[in-house]
Amino acid sequence: MEKGKGKPFLEVLSSALHEDYRFPILEIFAFLYVLGTFALVNIGSLGFALGSVSGEAVAFRVVTSAIGFSLFVFLILIFKNIAFGLGSDLEKGIIQTYFSYPLKRSRILSAKLVSAVGVSIALFLGIQILALFILAPGIVLPHMGVVLLTYTASLSYPLIITGVLLVMAMIFRRGALTLVIGIVLYFVLSIVSGIVTVISLATNSPLPLQILSVFSPSTIVSQYYSATISFFSTNSWAPTFSQVLLSIAASYVIAAVLFSLGYYYFSRRLNL
Amino acid sequence: MAIVVAENLAKSYGGVKAVNDLNLTLKEDTTTGLIGPNGAGKTTTIKMILGLLKPDRGKVEVFGENPWDNPKIRPLIGVVHEKAFFPSHQKTLDYLERTCRIFGVPETRASEVLKLIDLQDANNRQINALSAGMLQKFSIAHALIHSPKLIVADEMTANLDPQARISLFDLVLQLHKDQNVTFLMSSHILPELSRVCDSVAIMNQGRVLAAGKLSELYEKYSAGTIRVSADKPEELANEIKTLAYVRKVEVDVRGILVQVQGQDENSFYEDVSRLAKKVDAKIQGIETGSASIEELYNRVVRGSEGGRA
Repeated sequence: MEKGKGKPFLEVLSSALHEDYRFPILEIFAFLYVLGTFALVNIGSLGFALGSVSGEAVAFRVVTSAIGFSLFVFLILIFKNIAFGLGSDLEKGIIQTYFSYPLKRSRILSAKLVSAVGVSIALFLGIQILALFILAPGIVLPHMGVVLLTYTASLSYPLIITGVLLVMAMIFRRGALTLVIGIVLYFVLSIVSGIVTVISLATNSPLPLQILSVFSPSTIVSQYYSATISFFSTNSWAPTFSQVLLSIAASYVIAAVLFSLGYYYFSRRLNL
Repeated sequence: MAIVVAENLAKSYGGVKAVNDLNLTLKEDTTTGLIGPNGAGKTTTIKMILGLLKPDRGKVEVFGENPWDNPKIRPLIGVVHEKAFFPSHQKTLDYLERTCRIFGVPETRASEVLKLIDLQDANNRQINALSAGMLQKFSIAHALIHSPKLIVADEMTANLDPQARISLFDLVLQLHKDQNVTFLMSSHILPELSRVCDSVAIMNQGRVLAAGKLSELYEKYSAGTIRVSADKPEELANEIKTLAYVRKVEVDVRGILVQVQGQDENSFYEDVSRLAKKVDAKIQGIETGSASIEELYNRVVRGSEGGRA
């Protein structure tokens, strides 16, 4: 027993990585990340670096430009991993095999999530930061706080959707169905987000955007930096830095609650 | 020493009782067959013993511990599911070596078990390229990797050809004899189970109807059962039915199965000889006691369903 201590988690993780990132899926997604990120950083830095706006706003715009397309590709990879790495494993019964190993259920789920979500995020951030430092060092280096805040805000929304998907994968136990739910959910929430923004502009009320910011704090970060320069202002809402931090914290709390729900269900309620 | 103790277990699926007030004790160093018709609750029982299902009521202990989410007892248990489930994009030997590392046993054990189960030729094959039979064998190899004290197998011989089934049961006997491995096996193929099991638990409608050593169950449930082999079984059976103390008469390919009231067995020998002469039938043999596990199973299950046993 003691001889194998510490190994089961790493072995289940290694097995999950082997299944989640097998040829050619990883290569295709990595190519899309690199292509998308480098292209967008380049366009972003060209478009905004020449403008007469504050350095912080430029850094924010460059980072959000870089995130745009790559975030979608990265989300699809996470959805695929959750759907097929967890949903299909439940569907086929591979989780039953993992449950015969000397490992707590929560550790098995952690191994699956590190593989499905953690590695994808690391891949995404690694390529993003590399692209930013290679193509726009003069813009991002003096404003690392902005870069950090923008990424922190951008990642909570995908994590919330992933949390929902995690619970869905356990309830439905069907890989393909989980993937479809994830993609539909993403587009529905994007449409809802657009409608909320339009309502806010039409009514000139910041309330819809404030609510949206709890789920997608990129909205408030965008408002925060846009408000510092009149050119980007869309309405009268000028959030404070504390409000920005509060929204980001609230969104991570929601994501944490969803993941905790997933862990609770997996550890205490999941009957196979 | 009891390795598995299940007390008053109950599990329902959407209002349908799969297991209802089940009691089962599995002693160390036994090979126990869990038998019963489809829907008897065998798989549900096995899953609760393995900690894959949480009972609605009652308690189950394996090696003195609650099996639900309990990694402490996992190295003591080997599991073979009815359908084998493994990450499919890995090679057989690689995955077994990974399993060795998980259980902290030398990686050389992977090749050993593949050879033991006669799967060494497939050691470089991807798991998803294995046939159903090979996958089942791989599942058995996977269960043996850490030399468990208890092996729980749900329909272990499903998908295996006759030769592989014979080899597997030889292996079960060998493991039981040499390493004192305790087995709990469910199967629909009763003669095979009777070959390797020294105990059985007969289930129906979510309950254990009878459990214990096979020899004791035969004695308990087979008193008054006589098998008659004759060259005109149908005619002779019709005559036997006329005897007042005969409770039941069945004709099958092996002859006539007769159930009499215990105290009349001796009278039966005289009467059947007389009846055979009457219909000009030649008696080839008479056996007392239930001659097969199927008959034992039928008596117990039919008895529970209110039929004439």
